Amino acid sequence: MAEVILKNIKKVYPNTEAKKHRKDGGEKLADLQITDEGVLAVQDFNLEIADKEFVVLVGPSGCGKSTTLRMVAGLEEISGGELYMGGRLMNDVAPKDRDIAMVFQNYALYPHMTVYENMAFSLKLKKTPKDEMDRKVREAAEILDITQYLDRKPKALSGGQRQRVAIGRAIVRNPQVFLMDEPLSNLDAKLRNQMRAELIKLRTRINTTFLYVTHDQTEAMTLGDRIVIMKGGVIQQIGTPQEVFDHPINLFVAGFIGSPQMNFFDGKLIQTNGVWQAETAGAVIPLGQKTQAALNAAGVAPMAVSIGIRPEHIQLETQAGAHTVAAQVDVSEMMGSEIHLHVSAEGKDVVVRVPTLELSEKWPNGLHRGDSFYFSFRHDLVHLFDTQNEETLL
Amino acid sequence: MKKRRSAPENPVLRRQRRLRSAVMIFLCILSLLPFYLMFINATRTSNDVKSSISFLFGSHLMENIATFTQKQKGVGITAWGSMGNSLLVAVPYTALSVYFSALTAYGLYAYNFKAKKFAWGFILAVMMVPTQVFAVGFYKFMLHLGLIDTFLPLILPAITTPAVVFFMRQYLAATLPLDILEAARIDGSGEFHTFNTIVLPMMKPALATQAIFQFVASWNNLFLPSLIISSSGKKTLPMFVQMLMGESFRTDYGVVFLALSITILPMFVMYFILSRYIVEGVTLGGVKE
Repeated sequence: MAEVILKNIKKVYPNTEAKKHRKDGGEKLADLQITDEGVLAVQDFNLEIADKEFVVLVGPSGCGKSTTLRMVAGLEEISGGELYMGGRLMNDVAPKDRDIAMVFQNYALYPHMTVYENMAFSLKLKKTPKDEMDRKVREAAEILDITQYLDRKPKALSGGQRQRVAIGRAIVRNPQVFLMDEPLSNLDAKLRNQMRAELIKLRTRINTTFLYVTHDQTEAMTLGDRIVIMKGGVIQQIGTPQEVFDHPINLFVAGFIGSPQMNFFDGKLIQTNGVWQAETAGAVIPLGQKTQAALNAAGVAPMAVSIGIRPEHIQLETQAGAHTVAAQVDVSEMMGSEIHLHVSAEGKDVVVRVPTLELSEKWPNGLHRGDSFYFSFRHDLVHLFDTQNEETLL
Repeated sequence: MKKRRSAPENPVLRRQRRLRSAVMIFLCILSLLPFYLMFINATRTSNDVKSSISFLFGSHLMENIATFTQKQKGVGITAWGSMGNSLLVAVPYTALSVYFSALTAYGLYAYNFKAKKFAWGFILAVMMVPTQVFAVGFYKFMLHLGLIDTFLPLILPAITTPAVVFFMRQYLAATLPLDILEAARIDGSGEFHTFNTIVLPMMKPALATQAIFQFVASWNNLFLPSLIISSSGKKTLPMFVQMLMGESFRTDYGVVFLALSITILPMFVMYFILSRYIVEGVTLGGVKE
């Protein structure tokens, strides 16, 4: 089995052909750094993936996540840096010799072959004995519950089934590293949820190293042991789902992870009598113990900050108070167990997530468009970011 | 096609459809009439052919066949012999043309290399140049190689057929996702293996239609064979037809038409078997599945 180490990995697309090469679909190059060499699609990529670890690369389209995966797969040349798999330098090793398997977004099944032939293709090339090949294909089909489709052509399968075949094709190879490039993006929402759960199950059955690319933060959070968040070809943060959710390192990560998105307010960090407070939208937000300690430890001075608060960390109040912000309901989305309120406060759009039960306790008639109310911030769950470099102060 | 609804139709639409049908029928007759007349004339005597047009079959078919079989002995090759020669040229020509064009198109589509755009542009440019321009140089070249009066100069150039390359590349661009090639690469398939076992089968519709067109082109080619082939035993079908216009046949138009009918038969049969592919081929690549 194998650990994967990426050391200072860099990818440059020479200027002239930059556009043609880009793979992520309609991406904007605006975020990427352009130098004399060309477009820097990925730079300073350092990551150590432990054996049997599930790492997810996540980011908006054009952030270089797919490019990174393709470099690991050997489908893109590595412009700089070193790639090790199982202790072996892999930069110049052909894809087929890297002992990897890859699942593509559009399945990439061979349309003229049956499901069985699709799955057996790589084994046939390895000259695997017939009976062993048959056993492996049937085993994989069993795991993925596609045994009854083995004689069909991909055309006769639904999207979910096709993706299973694509995964099956990868499983039969028993690879050291499993690469997945947005495997669920082509499925509809319901199927995506179902396949996501199955991927988690699958992982326990075929215990190997996974590198998974997605632009969907929910997938990243639910599947990954660790998440790598990328933007503009640069890693923003690496951490467990809990870490990146609780302690986003900068504004970008804070906004990217979590759904609905974190709310941001422009404000000021002030210190009165040795106690830190944040001031925004006419309200003074007292900060909790942990935040005080962190601010003191970081030795910050009073400054302009971006105050971030997740929609579920906003508390609704019926009465105005010292620490409350006045707001008006724009849209109320009933999700069942909880309600998403899109409100405007001090000219800003703010999203609030509140359990349905809690809301009906305070407002028996519910909150509707145009209703006024107040909200406050949960003290210890406020995020503070430097407005200059957009990095966290905590 | 589904049957039309039985609901009362808009009279304007009906009139439009009738007009459309009328135009189509007229065009059909226009294009089929010459063939019909050719078959008719094959059954008439030379004098009848010269003096009048008839739409009814004559009674001189057997007579014409007899004259034809006798007269073709005089030119050194029979209709069947020249048809065999034509097959000997057209079959390998088609195979080479289709396979290597697909290979070239695949290379141009799937790989990135320096001067790729130039190569593509060059191929398109060559497409614009008519064969006649090359003829003298080609003849001299073949003369030096000692290949005059052999079939090779008629077959080997099929390896480069720009028009087919163009068609194949457009087809690939519309139907072959690069991911499939990458999947194959990761599965451990070599580049040629990928082409032969995955790309070629996926290109079947394109291969079929281009094979038909190439076969017909080679079958009907008169210019190059006339340039290269000189001994009568090696003459191809179009050359044979050409000879029919020569001295020994000139007088008997019934026989000429009979011979023409015979030479055209294989094309007819082929068209009826493959017409579905031909029609598909014309629209191919336009719609992405």
